[in-house]
Amino acid sequence: MINAKTQNLIWRFLLYAVLILGSAAMLMPFFWMISTALKIESDIFTIPIKWIPSTLYWGNFTRAFEVVPIFHYMFNTFVMALLKIGGEVFVSALVAYGFARYQFRFKNVLFMIMLATMMLPYEVTMIPTFIIWSNLGFADSYVPLVLPAYFGSATFIFFLRMYFETFPRELEESAVIDGARPLGIFIRIFLPLSKAALFTIALWSFMGTWNDLLGQLIYINTPAKYTIQLGLAAFSNMTGETLWGPLMAASFIALIPIICFLLFAQRYFAEGIKMTGIKG
Amino acid sequence: MKRILKSGLAVLVIAVVVLSACSKSAEAACGKGNNHFIFATWAAGEELKEFNAIVDQVNAQADGQYTIETLSIPSDYYIKISTLISSKNAPDFFWMTQELISKYAELGAIADVTEALHASQRYHPDNFYEGVIASAFHDGRYYGIPWIANPIMVYYNKNLFDEAGIPYPSPTDDWTWAEFIETAKALTTVKKDVNNNDYQQYGTVIDGWPNIETFIWAGGGDIIAEDGVEILLDREEALRGLDILDEILSSGITPSYAEVSSLGSNNVWFEKQRAAMFMGGIQDNFEKKISRLPEAEQFEIGYAPMPVGLDGHAYAFDWTASTVMSTACSDNPVALQALMDMTDGFLKWKIASPLKGEVSEVANIDPLKKDALPTIEHSLKIARSANYIPEWNQINNKLWVELYTGMLNKPGEYDYRTNAKEIAEYARGLIAQRK
Amino acid sequence: MNRGRTGFYFILPWLIGLILFTLFPLLAALYIAFTDWSIIGNPVFIGMQNFFEIFRDSMFYQALWVTVKYAIFAVPLTIATAFAVAVLLNNQIKLVAVFRTIYYMPAIVSGVAVAIVFKWVLDPNYGVINSFLAFFHIKGPNWLYDPDWVLPSYLVMALWGASGGLLTYLVGLKDIPRELYESANIDGANVWHKIRYITIPMITPILFYNLIMGLIAAFRKFTDAYILGGAGNEGTFYMVYLYDQAFSFYQMGYATALAWILFVIILTLSIIINVTRKYWVHT
Repeated sequence: MINAKTQNLIWRFLLYAVLILGSAAMLMPFFWMISTALKIESDIFTIPIKWIPSTLYWGNFTRAFEVVPIFHYMFNTFVMALLKIGGEVFVSALVAYGFARYQFRFKNVLFMIMLATMMLPYEVTMIPTFIIWSNLGFADSYVPLVLPAYFGSATFIFFLRMYFETFPRELEESAVIDGARPLGIFIRIFLPLSKAALFTIALWSFMGTWNDLLGQLIYINTPAKYTIQLGLAAFSNMTGETLWGPLMAASFIALIPIICFLLFAQRYFAEGIKMTGIKG
Repeated sequence: MKRILKSGLAVLVIAVVVLSACSKSAEAACGKGNNHFIFATWAAGEELKEFNAIVDQVNAQADGQYTIETLSIPSDYYIKISTLISSKNAPDFFWMTQELISKYAELGAIADVTEALHASQRYHPDNFYEGVIASAFHDGRYYGIPWIANPIMVYYNKNLFDEAGIPYPSPTDDWTWAEFIETAKALTTVKKDVNNNDYQQYGTVIDGWPNIETFIWAGGGDIIAEDGVEILLDREEALRGLDILDEILSSGITPSYAEVSSLGSNNVWFEKQRAAMFMGGIQDNFEKKISRLPEAEQFEIGYAPMPVGLDGHAYAFDWTASTVMSTACSDNPVALQALMDMTDGFLKWKIASPLKGEVSEVANIDPLKKDALPTIEHSLKIARSANYIPEWNQINNKLWVELYTGMLNKPGEYDYRTNAKEIAEYARGLIAQRK
Repeated sequence: MNRGRTGFYFILPWLIGLILFTLFPLLAALYIAFTDWSIIGNPVFIGMQNFFEIFRDSMFYQALWVTVKYAIFAVPLTIATAFAVAVLLNNQIKLVAVFRTIYYMPAIVSGVAVAIVFKWVLDPNYGVINSFLAFFHIKGPNWLYDPDWVLPSYLVMALWGASGGLLTYLVGLKDIPRELYESANIDGANVWHKIRYITIPMITPILFYNLIMGLIAAFRKFTDAYILGGAGNEGTFYMVYLYDQAFSFYQMGYATALAWILFVIILTLSIIINVTRKYWVHT
């Protein structure tokens, strides 16, 4: 009969085995990306597939920088992301708090409307939206892409609402007894306890800016203002020819900031203390 | 207090709407004033640098008469162009591929340049290869100036021909599709690679390229008649062309559709010597790619024209891009001048110029193409584009998704004749809906 | 206490944004659905004609069916996968931060990159999956080239990307007090009991979020499907069909009508799910 300690060890071994196998599956496409980035052109497509490049060829990276100014475009994208992130996260949290913790007239209808705005494909509102911005003079500008962020984003609001609903009622009640105002409760109590959720939203906001091709394509004309996705688009042309090696090199470089952000945000996923200290 | 907030909001909203509606009724203008024109292109990255060099040169020579500003659209080209047109901010000039010119012309988005062409020395319609200028022709008028002609020809691997003991096809004399298929069969064998493993060498690669027009023309047929109204897809000539395609796909001389993408794209098969012949555009840079391979992998390239079809003629599908002009600029002679000056620059840039008699320029642009010149010239003369009508994209979509991929996935089994007739009926339905 | 107007003030920024940025394009889109508009021409009012044509269009039903089939499988699959991975990664294990990053990475690549990579992964002759199967002397299917295997191909891609929902569950999981698990241990509960009676109920709000978002995402599936397609129109998802109508065929009125039909379908399903909310979402 296996004792509890051994059983525990077996579980943990299985756990690690599954996680590592799964990791391999998750990472496999990234491995192919890096592998392609390091191959000379004739090695990229071979029968059978060459997993490891025969030599480490860094020429794709240098070529990538010759095709487009990658760091310049990444900087532009950073600027846009930073302009958006603060407003988007804070305002989404604010609105989510309203939906989660308060009752008011038309609340359910308004919430359904908010969900509904996520259901209509943006392709059909894209052109009318552009026409309005264009007529207002914002044709070659970041403003149409950044300004709406300051009014919250439906996805983020939805998520944060569900998250705030998991907080116990007692949290506000004790604060109100202490004389706190609604906004104060929100900022001083709810926000600090929601760091993981807020960082998740922040990551999504950053990713949204970083990966948005069509929106940025429609609203930006001047190459000096280009973002990274527009830069990556230059590696394939109209007739379908693609510079695979340099494209993979550039795509990999473009991924690094997001991976860093993700690693950094992990610290906020440590266990929370929200639930302790409240006795019913 | 709340009431003020609410009414303030209402005023703001109404102001925004009124403002945007007002400006919408303004007419699109030609250029940003003072003959400052916007030229939209799909060139990006390195190609854009070359494009801008041409723009700089043209601006310098214009000496203040006009200025051209580049608008690069690196992705989703037509989405941005159509969005700009709908917001009355159309670029003054933009590149267009051939299949959409008739649609944009029909909808009044691009200018009729027929008079300007006839008045011009260099760009008179008769100076162009017929198959090429036809792509800018719609309903009796011309709507753009082609700046590149890229008809297809047959590239072949001389080393593999030598190994199989097959004589080279002539670079300018016409061979038939039957002869092409026979040659491909003789070149389809099993070879051994460097590790002494067996691999299959194919005569050619057909994976959706060349396009279906090529085969329909090979039968002596066509999809749409020249009048742009009659559908010929279900005529016997077109169907015989599809027979040729089916024969090729079922005879084993090409890798199967599912197999082609193992090497990324079809041209790689030719570059890696797994296919002995390839139908590519005259512009395809095989010479350059192969010269960069390790010595042991290099081979000599031979050139032959597209084969002769069942009507006794050879046709080379031609991919052409034209520069079109926004309708707002129709009455601006300076704009027309700028357009032609830019086209002058393009003609020296890419392979090949669509004007007759300029073939030798190809060797200047890419010296590695020197040996191909006779075949290139022949291919330009037999260049042909489909008869593009405004409904082309819808018809072509069906041709690809249903007919061609059906034949590719089930060679020898797919009932393409019935499918072709269905698509022909569909096309007639579309045309009947015209106002 | 929490009644009255305070809540309304909290949501006011979103409401203002809605009126400023969404309302008019939405009204425009509503109007366009009743017109014949080629984007570069002028819209012409044609009443219900788009809708009549759509209901007679066999491709509409094909695209809708492909999408529904996909949604039925993909939504539960991705939710279960993301949840399972989150539960696994909610443990105290070495390098947990690294694992969580690795499992989230599929979500950070753009749809275009995913499509390119999976075209190779699913290659019938030399792709990763079929090479792996060949190792066991199994001949893998033709994936995207075989109409019967197109849906499974997209499900494989969905499975790979499923762990993207990971963070949402981690956010909720970390707030479940340890004491609950500890007292359950004392009561002799095993792993499944703990998951079923503690973890899941406390996570239901997040599950609700993922269910709605998963539904919307499945019905709006586009980017990789547009690039990869699939044999016999089995890869023509609804949005791919819509996109072609809008931007390849310049039938924006028709496409907008298609969009509104999709909207109604998603909205109806969401309302149904929302109505059931009080029965299973724990607050």
